[in-house]
Amino acid sequence: MESLKVYILIANRVYNDGIRSGLGLAVENHYAYPVIMNGEFPRFSNYMSENIAWIADMEGQVFSCGAEAPTDLPEGTEIANISLEELGEQMREADFIIPYGLPKQSHEPPAACSE
Amino acid sequence: MAADPNKLGIFVTSPQHMRHILGIAKAAVRAGKKVMVFFTFKSIHLTKNPQFYELTQLCAVEDIAICADSYICEGFDNVNDVPRGLIDKQMRTQAFHGAILDECAKYIVM
Amino acid sequence: MKILQVYKSEPTEDVKKLVEILNRDRDADEFKLYIGEPNYDILVQKIFANDKTVCWW
Repeated sequence: MESLKVYILIANRVYNDGIRSGLGLAVENHYAYPVIMNGEFPRFSNYMSENIAWIADMEGQVFSCGAEAPTDLPEGTEIANISLEELGEQMREADFIIPYGLPKQSHEPPAACSE
Repeated sequence: MAADPNKLGIFVTSPQHMRHILGIAKAAVRAGKKVMVFFTFKSIHLTKNPQFYELTQLCAVEDIAICADSYICEGFDNVNDVPRGLIDKQMRTQAFHGAILDECAKYIVM
Repeated sequence: MKILQVYKSEPTEDVKKLVEILNRDRDADEFKLYIGEPNYDILVQKIFANDKTVCWW
């Protein structure tokens, strides 16, 4: 079975589940590249951090595009910075591009769901 | 397995485009194509839309599935509340998405 | 390489930039799902006529 290059674009803070979806493809021997756009980072729970590290172990990579990736992540959990232009160029080689979930919201989250 | 040139994969990640999903699936069937669909994360709420049953009738039983973990995470009961039109063994993992990438020559994200 | 860009909503500046790069030196087509009543038969024809489809938010 051919290993495919799959980019998963995450533009909305609620949809960082795209990272789990990427891991699902990584364990099927595909190359998964989840991309967190414009600082819509997840809460870095142990589960989320482990998923990010596991994607790297499977020769994929989680990227941040449009905002600096946090540097205080647990050891082994790395998010690489990538510019929009670099992302576009890399995605020219993609087998699949998945804009995941919903687009970015116009407003910051209210207190009820901001933590 | 080589991808089937007449099979369209639909990966559903958004909870708000049932109209497009059904429209595309119906058009594909009219064109003599097969359709394979996977719902993940919050899109599994679309299984509660009456049009979901209609969609299941356009696909082979083994060609439509939802992410069981997503269904449970959203509070639904994957044993006693299997969505109408779906059989229980089609409550699947993300591996079903991998199968779509392998089996379908054409692919769209909804 | 024939590539189809499908839009579920008006593309943002980021999306326009990525599409510009992805379409460079390629035979590119597009379909807007957010305008009026989409003709899904035409969309399916386009999906099967192209090598790759990207469906943006």
